[in-house]
Amino acid sequence: MKRPKLLDDPKRELWLAWYATICFYSLYAIVFFIVTRTQPPGKPWYDPTQVVAWFAGRHEGLLIGFALIFVLGGLSATSIALITYSIRRMSVSRAYSYSYLIIYAVSAVPGFLFICVAMTVGAMRPDRSPEIQRWLYDLGFLSFSGTMGVFLIGSLIWMTAILLDKNRVFPKWFAYLNLCNALTEVVVAPSWIFHTGAFAWNGVIAWWINVVVFGLYTGAFIYLLRCLILREDFGTGPLPDLASKRWHQIFPAEVGVS
Amino acid sequence: MTTTETPASLLPTKNAKHVPGQPDMWVFVLFESLVFTSYFCVYLYARTQHEGAFLRSQAHLLLWLGVLDTVVLLTSSWAMARCVQHARAGRFELAKRDAWLTAALGFVFLSLKIVEWVRLIHMGNTFTSNQFFQYYFFLTAVHFVHLLIGFVVVGVLILQLKDAKRRRQETVETCATYWHTVDFFWVLIFALLYVVR
Repeated sequence: MKRPKLLDDPKRELWLAWYATICFYSLYAIVFFIVTRTQPPGKPWYDPTQVVAWFAGRHEGLLIGFALIFVLGGLSATSIALITYSIRRMSVSRAYSYSYLIIYAVSAVPGFLFICVAMTVGAMRPDRSPEIQRWLYDLGFLSFSGTMGVFLIGSLIWMTAILLDKNRVFPKWFAYLNLCNALTEVVVAPSWIFHTGAFAWNGVIAWWINVVVFGLYTGAFIYLLRCLILREDFGTGPLPDLASKRWHQIFPAEVGVS
Repeated sequence: MTTTETPASLLPTKNAKHVPGQPDMWVFVLFESLVFTSYFCVYLYARTQHEGAFLRSQAHLLLWLGVLDTVVLLTSSWAMARCVQHARAGRFELAKRDAWLTAALGFVFLSLKIVEWVRLIHMGNTFTSNQFFQYYFFLTAVHFVHLLIGFVVVGVLILQLKDAKRRRQETVETCATYWHTVDFFWVLIFALLYVVR
């Protein structure tokens, strides 16, 4: 019997990590936006009674959705691993990849898991005191939106590594996109102060604009990680180009330089 | 004045059709312009909702201080443009002098901004006072952060100009592009916060 092609592909682990990344982000979007409806975030100005009603309206969704996250959320490790791999492939110190790995591993706790735990606890006993329910509601949303600053340093590390890299693992424009993403992470900080308006945790500036930028940034890096795997030669020098014309549009400055 | 011989790679190609600096930096320019435009739209929308309150708060700003900020920053852009011109002509000592002048003017701008913030806070106008000052402190602070990054950029530029082996005209122009972009954002912020009535 003929062995499937994928088993002989030396890049099979990389592809596995890449597809796991796609699965993770799809799961993330479905659970947060559709199943639990915790994104866009609830209103920060809700009083305890409104918060209890908010939990009641999402009871099953919160329990089922976040149960899925507790089972499959570990897939987020694959995207972090793949990004760390990409930094290791660059001609920069390993300190960059280790710092990135540690920052993202740590920041996943307040920025991703806290909201799941807080909202699940809130949904589990809807007869609890409304004041405590509001406390859980605030904890969930503030930890999710208000801790974006932790990710800022990760973006800056990735940006610096790309700018210093001579192996052309990522195009330079993506380094600058990292800077744009980092700068929009800064503007979420006021969500700790305001209950209403553009700077509250569900505000136009603190959430909506930030999410659009983050969405574009995530799409760009998933695409570029795919390009990295296609170009990977398992060497230590500059990565070879892809043959396609589109690749030359991604790397306009480097065409013909390799 | 020291004039160093210019390698061919440092000189711009005549009539070549390309943007100054790395084309990649223009992704940043475009993207940040869109992000700032969205902030401005949010500000203008809020302004239309509370026009009277915004006008009353706006009266607390000193227009002449805003004009001074703008003049200082535009002068820094002029110094940066001269730096690029000198680098193109191979006059690296002069280019370095202009890069230092750019950084010094940037520092003057930051000092003026801090003085202005302190003055407003002493008057009781803080980030949480009212909507106008929320946007005022937010927009000026975001711009402030961009300018702080600008100092890193000018630092890279000066290092490049110092070292004959590292000098690349493309990097000089890329750094200049960043600086001009940040100045451009300030002109818009100045117009919206100080001038528009």
